[in-house]
Amino acid sequence: MTRLSMNRRKLLTTAALSGAALATPAYLRRAHAQSGGEVNIWTYNDFVPEAFREQFQDETGIKINVRLVDDQGKQFSLLAAEAPNPTVDIMTVAGHRFLQFIDSDLLAPLDTDRLSNWGNINPTFSESDWATIQGHKWGAPILSGMEVLAYNSDIVSAEEAQTWDTLFSETYAKQTAYIIQDMMSIIMLKMGYDGNMVEYLDNPERAAAIVEEAKNFLIEHKPLVRKYYDGGAEFQQMMVNQDIVLGHSWNGPAAALINDGFPLGMTIPREGSYGFVYTFNIANNAPNMDNAYTFLNAILASPEVGAAMTKASGFISTYKGASEYLTDLEKKSTSFPEEQLANLQFFRAEANEMKYGLVDPAVEAIKAA
Amino acid sequence: MTFPASAREERGATAARDRTFWGKLSGWAPYGAALRVATASPRRQFLILAICPVIWVLTQHLGPMVQMLRVSLTDAYPVAPGTPQHFTIEHYLAFFHDPLFWQPFFRTLSFAGVFTFCTLVLTYPVAYFLARHVRPKNRMLLLLLLLIPFWVGEIVRTYAIMILLGNTGAVNLVLKWIGLIDRPIPFMYTSFSMGVGIVYLTALYMLLPLYSALEKLPASLNEAAADLGAGAWTRFRRVTLPLTLEGISSGCTLVFLISTGFYATPVLLGGPSTTVFAETIAGFFHVAGDQWPTGAAFAIIMFLAALLVTAAFQKLMSSLRKGDSK
Repeated sequence: MTRLSMNRRKLLTTAALSGAALATPAYLRRAHAQSGGEVNIWTYNDFVPEAFREQFQDETGIKINVRLVDDQGKQFSLLAAEAPNPTVDIMTVAGHRFLQFIDSDLLAPLDTDRLSNWGNINPTFSESDWATIQGHKWGAPILSGMEVLAYNSDIVSAEEAQTWDTLFSETYAKQTAYIIQDMMSIIMLKMGYDGNMVEYLDNPERAAAIVEEAKNFLIEHKPLVRKYYDGGAEFQQMMVNQDIVLGHSWNGPAAALINDGFPLGMTIPREGSYGFVYTFNIANNAPNMDNAYTFLNAILASPEVGAAMTKASGFISTYKGASEYLTDLEKKSTSFPEEQLANLQFFRAEANEMKYGLVDPAVEAIKAA
Repeated sequence: MTFPASAREERGATAARDRTFWGKLSGWAPYGAALRVATASPRRQFLILAICPVIWVLTQHLGPMVQMLRVSLTDAYPVAPGTPQHFTIEHYLAFFHDPLFWQPFFRTLSFAGVFTFCTLVLTYPVAYFLARHVRPKNRMLLLLLLLIPFWVGEIVRTYAIMILLGNTGAVNLVLKWIGLIDRPIPFMYTSFSMGVGIVYLTALYMLLPLYSALEKLPASLNEAAADLGAGAWTRFRRVTLPLTLEGISSGCTLVFLISTGFYATPVLLGGPSTTVFAETIAGFFHVAGDQWPTGAAFAIIMFLAALLVTAAFQKLMSSLRKGDSK
């Protein structure tokens, strides 16, 4: 009988604990997110400098919870799955992906009157065409980047790196890497087409034919590539391990390697490339809206913070005067010659629905081929 | 009147118990009544005991799969609140209509089969040595040593493989040092590196069933075979192997099923020509859109295919065991 009594206790305790454990995640998710002392951020690695994070937490008592993301599409899917009650307050959306998030009611319009430091952003970014949609601002520009051809300068010459063709040459077979989705736009540009697909908005058949041509090009050259990758850290690792000697990259991870002393060079090849701007955005129905504005205003407060973001991420700061806080090497790794910048154009969002409707299946086809 | 010491101790223990939460609860009449009703018969006691594991299985195992099945039958997901959803099987048909997806699908099944066989071949001698040649008192220590890599997560172990096989990794450095190569061999981002990673990650799931089967095998059977003149190879082929088929079957099933679902390892270690179906499925969840149902449908297809292959394998092993027992 004593044994039975012990079993009952254990049984009841186990049942109670199991019930509590099963109920906890759902309860915690909202309760945790709604408490007044924190702000939840989805962002890329190093976009919130550690020193700023500690200082902000000390001064405001607001805890910063960062969840790292490495892809705009994944971020969209995560947020869409949580809508209309997201757990996140601030996300990091690239300017050319705004429309998709706005059309799905995932972003809240930014009330710039609540951001006394809004004026610290270079107007080239804060007041540009893409920054205002439906009469509202939707994000605070923080860093700008571009798609570059990065190369190990001990092995590949600067001359060779002036063209995307080198990435697909037999000389460097199995020593290259790229992000397929980004390369689709670049290949379209290299072939003389509009990689933003805005020109073909009224001609979907033409758009489909161009995507097919770019897809076939990448499938044909698939035997030459070592790795399709997804995130900047992967690119850095492959370069350091000498698994690759050149590849398509975002300028941020490449600049970070240069700043660390790795023999790396990067160019905007003569066929052209695309630039983009990362922005901090507030989620629609964010659980900690006030804290989100406090965070945004704080991170925009000083060009030193902008410089710290550049130092950590390698991307170019959008803050006025941030470059004054960079070393000569950091300035060099975040700037390009005028003749190369002339080849750069920014990603545009107008044709995104059509573009990604065609490009995403093409990417899967290339991977599967 | 005096009580025996044991009775006094029992009464003291009862009094102490009464002061605790559980003691008070035991004395509470409604609780007692509920308990009597709940444990009135062995059948009810069984139901009470079964409720926790059943809840666990329903919520943690079947729940997500049912949810995935539901998503796979909707026309779009995730969708904006208020957007109507309709049931459809078009995402399942998409797989059969588009040969594009067949290659990673069959590649996954064949990779899983090959890697399972490699894992079996590599771990069988280890399990045999452990079960037949290590003294019983040292077996636990050796098993613990074999388990050490499994104390860390899949990603960390995958990165360890990357450190080993990279162009500047340990393997290439050693080969270069002993003069076998001048330039590093590009092990990484190939089916070889992916295979090494998957075999390494799944070895334990093969090793333990094999060890268990070999340990149960009486040494006297092999001794009898030897007395009758059977050589080492014959003893292994005619005695050891047939009697460990059950362990082989369990290990292979586990490793095969796990291998079909690996995602991170192929992404990190694989190359452009090793795209597995899990990566194709993940692609539908990662792209910015409402393509989750296609990914969910493909996941269900892979799940069913893996089960079918496993069932066929089990049937084969079962017939082999029956054949040997005749």
